[in-house]
Amino acid sequence: MLKFILRRLAFLPLVMFGVTFLLFFCLQFLSAEMRASLYIKDPRQLSQLEAVIEKYHLRAPLLLPFKFTGTVWPLDVDFVWVGHTQYWTWLGQVLRGDLGYSETAKMPVSEAIFAFFPATFELTLLAFIPILAIGVFFGVLSAVYRDRFIDHATRFVAITGYSLPSFVLGLVLLMVFYGRLHMFAPGRYTFVTDQLVHSPEFRHFTGLLTLDCALNGQWEALRDALSHMVLPATTLIYISVALLLRITRSSMLEELSKDYVRTARAKGLPESVVIRKHALANALIPVVTLSSLLFIGLLGGVVITETVFDFPGIGRWGVQAAQQLDIPGVLGSTLLAAFLFVMANLVSDLLYAIVDPRIRVGGS
Amino acid sequence: MRAALVAALLSGSVPAPALAASSVSNPDTYTYLTISDADSLDPGYSYDTNSHMIVMNIYETLFQFDGASTEELLPLSASQVPTRENGLISTDGRTYTIPIRAGVKFHDGTPMTVEDVRWSVLRFLLMDRAAGPSALLLEPLLGYPSTRDEAGKILPGVWEDANRAVTAQGDKLILRLPRPYSPLLSILASWAPVVSKSWAVKNGDWDGAEETWRKFNNPNKESSPLFERANGTGPFKLERWDRATKEFVLTRNDKYWRTPAKLKNVVVKGVTEFGTRKLMLKAGDADAIFADRPLLTQLQGLPGVRIIDDLPTIDMDPVVFFTYKINEVGNTFLGSGKLDGAGIPPDFFSDKDVRKAFAYSFDYKGFINDVMRGKGTQATGAIPKSLPGHNAGGRKHQLDKKKAEEHFRKAFDGKLWETGFKFTLAYNSGNLPRQTVCQILKRNIEALNPKFKIDARPVDWPAFLDNYKAAKMPLFVMGWNADYPDPHNFAFTFLHSKGDYPQTQKFKNPEFDRLVEEGNAETDLAKRKTIYAKLQALAFEEAPQLYLVDASRYRTQRTWVKGWYHNPIMPDAPYGGYFYPLSKN
Repeated sequence: MLKFILRRLAFLPLVMFGVTFLLFFCLQFLSAEMRASLYIKDPRQLSQLEAVIEKYHLRAPLLLPFKFTGTVWPLDVDFVWVGHTQYWTWLGQVLRGDLGYSETAKMPVSEAIFAFFPATFELTLLAFIPILAIGVFFGVLSAVYRDRFIDHATRFVAITGYSLPSFVLGLVLLMVFYGRLHMFAPGRYTFVTDQLVHSPEFRHFTGLLTLDCALNGQWEALRDALSHMVLPATTLIYISVALLLRITRSSMLEELSKDYVRTARAKGLPESVVIRKHALANALIPVVTLSSLLFIGLLGGVVITETVFDFPGIGRWGVQAAQQLDIPGVLGSTLLAAFLFVMANLVSDLLYAIVDPRIRVGGS
Repeated sequence: MRAALVAALLSGSVPAPALAASSVSNPDTYTYLTISDADSLDPGYSYDTNSHMIVMNIYETLFQFDGASTEELLPLSASQVPTRENGLISTDGRTYTIPIRAGVKFHDGTPMTVEDVRWSVLRFLLMDRAAGPSALLLEPLLGYPSTRDEAGKILPGVWEDANRAVTAQGDKLILRLPRPYSPLLSILASWAPVVSKSWAVKNGDWDGAEETWRKFNNPNKESSPLFERANGTGPFKLERWDRATKEFVLTRNDKYWRTPAKLKNVVVKGVTEFGTRKLMLKAGDADAIFADRPLLTQLQGLPGVRIIDDLPTIDMDPVVFFTYKINEVGNTFLGSGKLDGAGIPPDFFSDKDVRKAFAYSFDYKGFINDVMRGKGTQATGAIPKSLPGHNAGGRKHQLDKKKAEEHFRKAFDGKLWETGFKFTLAYNSGNLPRQTVCQILKRNIEALNPKFKIDARPVDWPAFLDNYKAAKMPLFVMGWNADYPDPHNFAFTFLHSKGDYPQTQKFKNPEFDRLVEEGNAETDLAKRKTIYAKLQALAFEEAPQLYLVDASRYRTQRTWVKGWYHNPIMPDAPYGGYFYPLSKN
């Protein structure tokens, strides 16, 4: 298992290289002046773009530190060593945490990520666990009781959830619960918690509001923070659970129709054992894949939900950056999404190995 | 445990908002929800309503307009308002003696001195950031509107002129003008507030010396030490500016020289989504919100909410601006940057036919009737109808697709019609009328020729201002609230080559400059009107900007908000404004 993990981890830098190179390659479609803005932390430098271009070799070759001149290869080929490349210079900056200055966030990109990501991460965690539990449980139930009432009801809920735009659901929830019942206000916290969180007494251990509230022993603030996440989390759950439920159901139906299940039943195994230990174990593989993608989708930013609920997360920032062509902001949020995607793939590979030992054995 | 958590969540989420209809929510905290963040807190740099609103509640100017009046002044940092009658304005109108109030303290507890006032006025003059507010005082005090020439080089004699104009004698500030300038006190009622010199210097700001002032001239925004920190003498202190959540928290200055404010805290927060702003107002979590005219019907009839409509304005909003020489560097609005159908050249709007074609492509009547709900009339020029000098009978552009096509066919010697164009126009996110202006232009112009392509892009306010200052946006939609109630504020800002907009639009017309200066120097109102009428006629002919509507506005607030009054000069009036007189009961 350790070997499997190490081998997967060894692939990580390679995948990240691929992602960053692809991103950087796409950037070549922009002018050197626009790319120069990537390197600017201090807006005072905006008037000195030429100097920045010069400093970071933005007109140098992309990947290899030499230019070649020649007519027809291999004749008359002459390599000119230039000593630097755009990509490696840029990667060096990224590895040092210098992702440029985001005009949208009005702060360096690395700071913006730390400012916005924790809110999204908390919201995602709060939503994802119910998504997983509800999706798998009702997906299995729906498959087992196929064409019965529970199946129809579950499918109805799934279809409505899947086809309902999140901004509609978000606004409806907000109107009903906040507008009518005065529960679950938008934003991240009330003014009282806001004051507490920004007071010198409050220690920021993790950047995650709920966890920090708990670690500070501020239970009222914790309750307040959680109550502000109820509606956005509910929106995410309802929208996202549908897909997981559908996949679980169809995967489960497929497994239940296979010979080994028939054999297990013929052996006289109890139905609960057949479902849990035989069919479900195999049906989980596509569910694991989808779950990791869902998790990443949520982490990458739930733009509309964050906007409707005035929740200051990374998705809202990413979209604002894209709308305003804030290239460092777009790159920063994309890089983060790519990194998370790679990590989630790693986790899902590990889960595959647990769910289906053949993957581990085959790999070794 | 789980049950307890759920119960706590449910029970705990029914607090104050549930009582909204019957009692005051958060009685000592006033929350105003707007659509965007501020640009800068530096009183010498900020020149937008969002920033100025915060600045005017933290810092104090020498005077202030008395309540809703746009004529009567109250002394604030000054102890008396100079008049000819009390002898504080010299008989030739060129020397103002302003006694400074004693016993006033900055938020850090240090006393305000005449030197702080003198330094603050000098700093305001000499900072002179491009298209910033310094011109408001440079013109009356030094006689010229900028400290730099057209090449950006500092003019000779600025330091001497400024120090001649602004001096201190005992406990008095003396202002010496090169010629009489009647709106001076009105300008000082909104601009050049007093900053603590020692505190600012300690934080890296200009030390007041001749040797160092050039370094602080025309600074970049974030480089100013006063960009995000503040120490004024005003009724509220800056506690926090959270740029991630676009939120300001101000707390009461308990050592304020007047009776401290009734409100303990003021929260100003940018919430882009109107539905969220509305629900927070309805629930009582917000006390006032920014809402444009098209949204009024959605706010009418909300329990506990008061709409105050038909409020007069001294503004011109929205206005369409054309940039004559677009800054190409790192510009994503231009497309290819060439006249090739995939972009526009940087001088696209310097072609008068292009501007006229755009002018005839806008549906003015439809906009006023449908978007502004009929609450306004078509503007006839840069000067609004609430000010003298407004010419109601001036010529106006109308939607005329035939004329628009004629001008497009003539533009760039007939080449434009064949090649087509593509570019992006911009408006600040959350502003519905400005967004609609962009959409109307896009729809009407694209309908003229399939080779014409326009994208409309929302841009967050601070980023919008940055792009605007950098002259990157080919066409943008903005507005102007009066800095002081005089037509010169509009004529100069919109049409003089040293004015805010022409500087960023990169246009200069000597005839505009001549008429603006002539209008300002003229004391006879009838003659002044004639000059402004000529200016307006020329603006119609040249179309550097499109003036769309002269409109009234409305305010939306909770019924428990008391003490509010409308003064159209206040920044962000009638939505935000001055929080000192407000209370909740």
